[in-house]
Amino acid sequence: MTSARQFCRRTRREFFFDAGAAFPALAATGMLAADKAFADNPMAAKKPMRPAKAKSVIFIFCYGGPSHIDTFDYKPYLVGKDNKMVPIKTFGRGGKKAEGRIVEPRWKFKQHGQSGAWVSELFPNVAKHVDDIAFIKSMYAESPIHGSALLMMNSGRLISGAPCIGSWVTYGLGSENQNLPGFVVMLDHTGGPISGPKNWSSGYMPAAYQGVILRATDRPIFDLAPPDGMTHAQQRAVLDRLKEKNEEHLRTRADNSELAARIASYELAYKMQSHAPEAVDFTKESKETLELYGMEGPTKKRTEEFGRKLLLARRLVERGVRFVQVYSGGAHNDENWDAHTDIKLNHEKHCGNTDKPIAALLTDLKRKGLLDDTIVVWGGEFGRQPTAEYATGTGRDHNAYGFTMWMAGGGIKGGQSVGATDEFGNNAITDRYHVKNLHATVLNQMGLDPNALTFFYGGLDQKLVGVEGAEPIKQVIS
Amino acid sequence: MRALPLSGLAAVIVVATATANEPAFTKDQIAFYERDVKPLLKQHCLRCHGADEKKIKAELRLTSRATILKGGDSGPAVNLDKPEQSLLLLAITNKRTDGGDVMPPAGQLDDASIAILKRWVTDKLPVSEADLGAVAEHKSVITEEAKRYWAYQPVRKAAVPAGAANPIDAFLNVKLAEKKLTVMGRADKTTLVRRVYYDLIGLPPTPEQVDAFVKDTSPNAYGKLIDQLLVSPHYGEKWGRHWLDVVRYAETNGYERDGPKPLAWKYRDYVIRSFNADKPYDRFVREQIAGDEMPWSAEALTATGFYRLGLWDDEPADSVQALYDGYDDIVTVVAQGMLGMSLNCNRCHDHKRDPFPHSDYYRFLAFFRDIAPFSDTRSVSSANNIVDVTPPARKQVYEKDLEERQKEIASIKARMKPIEDAAIQKMSPKDQLAVQDGKRAQVIAKLPLVLEGTTRRKYNSMSRQLRELQTQPLPSQELAMGLNRCLPKPPPVYVMARGNPHAPKEEELCPPGFPAVLGVPDPKIVATAKSSGRRTALADWIASNDNPMTARVFVNRLWQHHFGTGLVGSPNDFGKLGDQPTHPALLDWLAADFMEHGWKIKRMHKLMMMSDAYQRSSTGDAANLKVDPTNSLLWRFSMRRLGAEEVRDSMLAVSGQLDLKQFGASVYPKIPEEVLHGQSQPGLGWLKRKGGGYDPARPDDGNRRTIYVHVKRSLQVPILATHDQADTDSSCPVRYTTTVPTQALGLINGEFAHDTATALAMRLSKDAGHDVTKQVTLAIRLTTGREPAAEEVASDTAFVTKLAREHKLDAATALQRYCLMLLNANEFVYLD
Repeated sequence: MTSARQFCRRTRREFFFDAGAAFPALAATGMLAADKAFADNPMAAKKPMRPAKAKSVIFIFCYGGPSHIDTFDYKPYLVGKDNKMVPIKTFGRGGKKAEGRIVEPRWKFKQHGQSGAWVSELFPNVAKHVDDIAFIKSMYAESPIHGSALLMMNSGRLISGAPCIGSWVTYGLGSENQNLPGFVVMLDHTGGPISGPKNWSSGYMPAAYQGVILRATDRPIFDLAPPDGMTHAQQRAVLDRLKEKNEEHLRTRADNSELAARIASYELAYKMQSHAPEAVDFTKESKETLELYGMEGPTKKRTEEFGRKLLLARRLVERGVRFVQVYSGGAHNDENWDAHTDIKLNHEKHCGNTDKPIAALLTDLKRKGLLDDTIVVWGGEFGRQPTAEYATGTGRDHNAYGFTMWMAGGGIKGGQSVGATDEFGNNAITDRYHVKNLHATVLNQMGLDPNALTFFYGGLDQKLVGVEGAEPIKQVIS
Repeated sequence: MRALPLSGLAAVIVVATATANEPAFTKDQIAFYERDVKPLLKQHCLRCHGADEKKIKAELRLTSRATILKGGDSGPAVNLDKPEQSLLLLAITNKRTDGGDVMPPAGQLDDASIAILKRWVTDKLPVSEADLGAVAEHKSVITEEAKRYWAYQPVRKAAVPAGAANPIDAFLNVKLAEKKLTVMGRADKTTLVRRVYYDLIGLPPTPEQVDAFVKDTSPNAYGKLIDQLLVSPHYGEKWGRHWLDVVRYAETNGYERDGPKPLAWKYRDYVIRSFNADKPYDRFVREQIAGDEMPWSAEALTATGFYRLGLWDDEPADSVQALYDGYDDIVTVVAQGMLGMSLNCNRCHDHKRDPFPHSDYYRFLAFFRDIAPFSDTRSVSSANNIVDVTPPARKQVYEKDLEERQKEIASIKARMKPIEDAAIQKMSPKDQLAVQDGKRAQVIAKLPLVLEGTTRRKYNSMSRQLRELQTQPLPSQELAMGLNRCLPKPPPVYVMARGNPHAPKEEELCPPGFPAVLGVPDPKIVATAKSSGRRTALADWIASNDNPMTARVFVNRLWQHHFGTGLVGSPNDFGKLGDQPTHPALLDWLAADFMEHGWKIKRMHKLMMMSDAYQRSSTGDAANLKVDPTNSLLWRFSMRRLGAEEVRDSMLAVSGQLDLKQFGASVYPKIPEEVLHGQSQPGLGWLKRKGGGYDPARPDDGNRRTIYVHVKRSLQVPILATHDQADTDSSCPVRYTTTVPTQALGLINGEFAHDTATALAMRLSKDAGHDVTKQVTLAIRLTTGREPAAEEVASDTAFVTKLAREHKLDAATALQRYCLMLLNANEFVYLD
């Protein structure tokens, strides 16, 4: 019971100040329990602060910045105005500009569903689900640069060092399945996003809350299986002897629960070795399901990759994993949604790869009754400008002044669009929502009060939504 | 503009009430306010600006005339003399120029509503009498009571209580007796030697080293052991790392490119050498804070690398914000790391719990305002961060070398010029014009593509040579990362409203000054030719015997690493949000003693380690556990898990792979491809072929002690990450100890663990021969330090034999599996 005194870079007293004031759920577990929470089992499931609408989150992160005006934010004003110069204040990778050449969206928009939501031809399958989706068309962020904007979308801050939203959710709620990691991240096959692991880091929180990379293959987790030549039977023999040795060591140190926790962690690891591959084992999924996700059928070549990840995402939330983040796009340039040179080429590629799987995820979650308590979030770190980046071509630069994200499930009121950008789609002007409002909405639906979920660090009660706090987007909460 | 008074009353607000001077408003005006204005405010503004005191944003209250005129963080909301320039109107019409938010956030008001508010403001803000309002007086956070807080009092050396040989025990025993706790006896010698080795040098003792101590029956054997380890060259590698945690040491800049910081490792070597040399702590602080302003020394200049360790964005969305974020990083590290003060909390407002007014932050920041950013361009290589530390004795050689190099450069340029001139003749008129416009460099940059054949080869080779000569340091020149460019006359620093660097409060100029609660006069500052001299004034104050914080904070860190927890459990925060000291008199006695003896660190180690408290067994005791379950009164020694570096170093050490070479550029151990794949450019900055240092042909190059492993902000070596290595983005006062299944997976399945087990098995075969009993005995000794009991050897031997038999393994493989098991054992990673 001794070395646990140095938990969490803070002290019991601080923890209580914090816990008593802001986190009754933990305070109730008592001082010593709180002391030991990190060293013993940081992922133990915790009760939400208040009744929760959702249990899990699937965040589809379109890295690079999808263009809102080419997908969900219909701007009739732009139609027929291709190449027209307009005075418009933009701020992107190329700096601040006062005028620009309109690039008219290359795709037709149509209204869909009972709600009549506008969706372009880029998302024909997602369009069938608009009545379950709440579009937030007035998002804004603080940076038009990938690195800092990614950090903001993931951790609420432009500077690295703060925990990501998946860390906050698992810190607040733990995870319901101890045989799988509570916060998992799936990357694009081309690579990670800019700044790599910083995007799923737990920052100043214990490393236990950082995202675990999961791959939709038979070895989904790093170091999950023994190396070649070592059979599971051998491993079991080694673990059995290890347990005996550790228990002998514990006999004279029985009051140290950290030692017991470490013994238990080997058994958990052993179970994870079979549970994680089971989660990735798609053999029990029907042919219809595989086709639905685009893992089979005519689009297979394009949609299999992302389809596998989203099917895995569904299987993970089914098994109680708390937070799943799936990246669409990786590495640099047109490997992700960063359409600087040719919007048509870039977005047809990425929308084509993801439209069918995303629609499948919504269908599948719904028919399995999982959509009610799973929040699906779609979007990137920012949107794109209505004007061209260069003198020629259809490339669009970054736009953090206004963009669209959407949410579905987990108590989100679908079939509506909230907020709006100006006639160009450049600036969010009506019912503007900061990234923090989006974060607050996710926490809120998970039964966590965004303004009370705190972690004491560096002299401050840190929050995902920042010291000033932020309110959930009430318009999308049913 | 006025300087702030010393009292630290940052924002004394005059009480404004409705008086006879207030204009009298007509009935019509008041009716207009009640009917048209008030409902508008209520609907669109008051949610954040008045209705609920807990939800007030930007300190702006629109609930009364007085509070509107007083305004919020951005200043008065209405300007009665120039109504059209009122912030309130600018904010609702999207015409703000101060970078503040457009209001209301939900979207622009309709024209009619805007017109109503315009008319109201132009009319000089008529309100009903009830809404004239008053402004509450701003209460200073520096109260008389706050000034009496223990941490701000001078360090006093209390009389040592009677009854113990070591003063530390004398203080501790008083509280132990009060609580009727029975102290545990002395740990056995094998436990003790292991504890002392890890504690002082971070490595396990070899069986021979254990034996030497166990067999030394002289009465001062234990003291000799400490002395011997304190002079070990590896002592600085262990204790230097503790300091690197505090200063958030890293060798890359973070952000999108996370590029390498040139020569960052020289700072790391400086730290190790300083600890090894037992440099007085006050000198150590001075060198880091103001080494560039001290009499010239390569060491002191290298120490200023301290300022270059933080995050740096080469492509900030907001460059002013980025500049101030950089200063914030420095303020935070110095205030928390050296002074135990959370001054970072009052960047945006008065500190919520400690007596630090908003202005304290900016007065402290002003000390650092002469520091030029890491680089002025997007490139990491910048004269801002590279210092010439060539020893003066070598200067002559260096100057001669430099002259020769310049000659060489000139000669190559002379040979390149005719080729360039000829090529330009053949280029487009636009390019030729550009050359005449002084853009020769840009045009020439195209030459490698324009030229052909042998000319091209010749030219490219010369330009490569030139580049090398221009960028490679001269052999006689020595460089380090540090402060090279500073401003002798830094720009003024103001309090920034709500911490927003775009909203300086020009009426609140902040000259450099110390936290006002301490009542220390503002320093006298003398600028140097190259810098402002401010940091010398700061160093003089921090590294002073009169500073109440510095020595207390540092001895507490020493205590923390010896005993597991500091006397103040929150080593970076001695304020009210931190822990209160468990033994205040002892803390003060140690701090006073530390200063009296010239701030010498090694002496303090020995004093602490010679105490009975340090030498106690870690065994539990039911009665004690009831009274003091967390051992805060130190009735026993607190067990601890090894730190990330200790885990890796121990694995390398016991398997005979550890390369004890010291110092120099960092090494890059293997990181598995799966992990590299998380980067946007897999392997970037790690693999040798991608700008890093890992060379698959020479994997053993990475087998140095972990302190020499390259610290890349966005990429961690898995075994270090899972064992709670310090986060590099901010100061890390205490490491976590977390236990998760993925950590176990890494140690039971990971490549590094398996390779280590293989090496250990080979070592056993080499040193103990082929007899399994002997192999097992040696293995236990290597991984635990102790001599195993016969039964344990017998059952482990049986395990190895059975494993080989049942799984049809050859002897070497069975032994490897056994070694893997030992490396996973709790006894290997936990210290009694």
